[in-house]
Amino acid sequence: MNNVKILLMVTKKSAFVWLFILSFVLPLTLSQKIFASEAPAQVAQEAAVSGVELPQFEGGQVSGSSQSSEGQPATDVGTTTAVAAEEEEIVPVQYRTFFGIDSRLVVWIVSELHLMFAAFVLGVPIFAVIVEIVGFKGGDIKYDKMAKEFTKLLSAAFATTASLGGLLAFCLFGLYPEFMGHMTNVFAPTMYVYALLFFGEAFTLYGYYYSWDILKGTAAKKWFHISLGVMLNLFGTGLMFITNSWATYMMSPAGIVPATGKVLSMYQAVYNLLWMPVNIHRLIANVCFGGFVVGAYAAVKFLGAKTEEERAHYDWMGYVGNFIGVGALIPLPFAGYWLGREVYSASPVMGNIMMGGAFSWTFIIQAILIGMLFIGVNYYLWLGMGRIKGSERYTRFIKYLIFVIFLCFAVWLTPHNLPLSGEERAMIGEQYHPFSKYFGVMAAKNAVVNLIILATFFSFLIYRRSNKGEMVPFSEQGKAGKIGIFSALIFCLLMLVSYAVSLNFVELDANIKVFVNPLIRALYIQAFAVCLAAFLTFKNKGKLGQTLLFAVTAGIAVLYFWYYGFQVMQKANLVLRYLSVTQVAIVMSCLIMNAIIDVFMFRKAKLVGGIVWGKMPVRSQYTLLLLCIVIVILMGLMGFIRSGLRMDWHIYGVLQDTSPWAYTPTLSYMGRVVGLIVVLFLGLVTFVFWLANLGEKKEEAKPKGYNYEVSGDDYGNAH
Amino acid sequence: MANKRNTFLLIWILTAIGCLFVFLKYASPKIFQVLMAKDHPMPTPSTLMMWYMIMGVLAGLVYATTSNQKFADFLSFLLPGSGHVIQSFLRNMLFVAFPVLVGWFVYTWSIPGAASPVELRIQHPTLPQDFEKLENPFRQKDDQAQRKSIEEGKILFQTYCRPCHGSKADGNGPFANSFRLRPINFQDPGTIATVVDNYLFWRIKEGGPGLPSEATPWDSAMPSWKDDLKDDEIWMIIMGEYDTAGVMPRQREKQE
Repeated sequence: MNNVKILLMVTKKSAFVWLFILSFVLPLTLSQKIFASEAPAQVAQEAAVSGVELPQFEGGQVSGSSQSSEGQPATDVGTTTAVAAEEEEIVPVQYRTFFGIDSRLVVWIVSELHLMFAAFVLGVPIFAVIVEIVGFKGGDIKYDKMAKEFTKLLSAAFATTASLGGLLAFCLFGLYPEFMGHMTNVFAPTMYVYALLFFGEAFTLYGYYYSWDILKGTAAKKWFHISLGVMLNLFGTGLMFITNSWATYMMSPAGIVPATGKVLSMYQAVYNLLWMPVNIHRLIANVCFGGFVVGAYAAVKFLGAKTEEERAHYDWMGYVGNFIGVGALIPLPFAGYWLGREVYSASPVMGNIMMGGAFSWTFIIQAILIGMLFIGVNYYLWLGMGRIKGSERYTRFIKYLIFVIFLCFAVWLTPHNLPLSGEERAMIGEQYHPFSKYFGVMAAKNAVVNLIILATFFSFLIYRRSNKGEMVPFSEQGKAGKIGIFSALIFCLLMLVSYAVSLNFVELDANIKVFVNPLIRALYIQAFAVCLAAFLTFKNKGKLGQTLLFAVTAGIAVLYFWYYGFQVMQKANLVLRYLSVTQVAIVMSCLIMNAIIDVFMFRKAKLVGGIVWGKMPVRSQYTLLLLCIVIVILMGLMGFIRSGLRMDWHIYGVLQDTSPWAYTPTLSYMGRVVGLIVVLFLGLVTFVFWLANLGEKKEEAKPKGYNYEVSGDDYGNAH
Repeated sequence: MANKRNTFLLIWILTAIGCLFVFLKYASPKIFQVLMAKDHPMPTPSTLMMWYMIMGVLAGLVYATTSNQKFADFLSFLLPGSGHVIQSFLRNMLFVAFPVLVGWFVYTWSIPGAASPVELRIQHPTLPQDFEKLENPFRQKDDQAQRKSIEEGKILFQTYCRPCHGSKADGNGPFANSFRLRPINFQDPGTIATVVDNYLFWRIKEGGPGLPSEATPWDSAMPSWKDDLKDDEIWMIIMGEYDTAGVMPRQREKQE
């Protein structure tokens, strides 16, 4: 009976959902029909005007005008006989439409939805296994339970990911047969490997989930279970790497003869210039995405919790989700910068289109979204301090952090080219307003994003210390502390010094190479600061060491490189790539060293009070929901940018897109499509999670056996 | 109940937002006038003004809600019954000022007026594919030949480009003031230093009329030089132009 009620309720609600979705789809479809009628003529006109010989893939391309809307060759209906039809030569089909809807829109929506589910399915197992190991090693059952709950969501989402993947493959082969012919020609062997890995992923995922209760009791069984999880991650990562090779080949093709499409080396086609940057960027972004989606799941559960125990459980789960999201968010800008830099390496023109051209405004939207993510995670941490007794000692820092983060955000989103009215332009009297001149270029952006990262890390440190009181002197911490600090020191020194040494050997003209010397000096100064911080920690002055390291890092990576970035931009832009890596190395060394010092400095510290899980204001949960929505929008936007950068090429410089939908969409149109994708994904994921919980509603009514008034050590284990 | 200082949290935040407005509207134009040695103030563009003010308000709200205690203090100012005289006075002022402020916004946004539209500008219009693969022939030559091309390019630059872009390539040529949008200052690191040689080749050769449709509303008065200058002359101008401005073009990086 209850199920019938649920179904009726879902039917009623779904009517509203469909109406909502239709309100997005109808305008898109109509606008597409309008565009479609104009586009072929426009394409033909542009081709005639340009008169440029470009490298073309000779795959039997047929002009769009000679085909019907379904891609069949145009025929004279009145004279065609059955015999003529039999004798008619089959002309390869270039494009088809999806029941009259524009093919690009269909592929765009399906592929983005597939990607989002795939990101969740690939990101969550990474931290599910880590959480399981933490629970197993620490002997805390609640970590194990949470890892299992994550995996339950995974198994439900996996089937949806696979279904969307199948739909995407059918759409691509059906709607873009010539393009997929080229891709199959180059990548056919990898497609079989992909299918094999998919089997591996499916078997290990379901094996991992369903053997959870069977494989516990002994350490050997548990390790076997954990190894299943590791295998699951390896298969998942392998799958992603293969699909990434297809997507990046479209942007930076390699291993073929561009004029004929003949395959010279599949290895080069796979290992194209953008493959590894996209692999790393997506790997980190998937973990970030998974963390924030899990955080939102916990927030919904928290808001609907009936008991204090439930609230405590989901508060803790939301915290862990957010922690994982933040952990992955911090290195994400570095990976993104590397990817962007390699786009410039692959094609400076594509790079200019991305950062200064047709896509530059999408990066302003990206800046707003990333700013919101950083503000959101910091806000959540500050609110979380309210549930920790003793946090009052640190809340005074919050106002300074707000000032720094918002100031950085302001610089971060200031565009180089401002939207100006004619009157404003006349009053300013020159090309750039000083705000946009000094804030709008990459030197400024890199500086402030590093400061935001340092500020977020500082927020985390004060959150972490909130519960800690009097410290045990470091000299009494035993061997573990000394080994820990020493290991971190060696790691940081290796990173900084080896890079400084390698900079001596970069091959540049002498007049440009002089601009590398300040970078080498900066790396050595940072190496000295790291050593000093470690030395002061050994002398029981760890806090002073941390402060000095923060100050030196901010001084070099933010202030000095902000100024020096301008110099390099003017005189030696080839040095920019080394400057960015130096900046990353310096900031990373600060984060690693200060985190390790903090862990060992506060080990065995007296606890001021417990963490009262569940004592969180409701707005903190809405912050988690906001973070999830923002990261989904961000993923939709970045997917559009990565794919759209090819402009009117299926495969950049090799196979041109001659379909009527080859134009670059306007910001407004992109916004509506990405909005629709976000709504669809969030709706689908809510439905899938609801399904995953359907069978266990009664069982889970009251989780038992946890004490959420946890100690600082329990909290420490989470990291 | 919160202590006396905290009960004024709302007023403190409003004051901070007001200070931000005054800084952006009045102080910043004067500061930039002095710093940049201009003979006129540099007004903060309305778009930036709006963005920065939104962020200021957001920062205030974030601060006011970082703890339940602060949030209660923030709201408590609006509740009647707290006995402080100054607080009552400020609260009454607020109740009067808020609707007046809203009314003023509505009025200023709705009164009829004439103003040119705010344009979303793109820094670098898309370079057509046929220009992407071009190479500057003079960059490949030995130092002596490069130096010669730079010197010849400088002469050509002074002949053809100086009237608008100035003898120092700083956008201050004799004709510069006659344009609604002044010619670009090439010494600025955000201009020609961020693009490859062939981007300039395209811009010089095709000029404003050659801009692709997707480049709009990138309005440019740059003439097309393809009928007046040979390709080699354009490449030499580019060599001379970078040297005059004292910047380097973006260079193709070696693929690792």
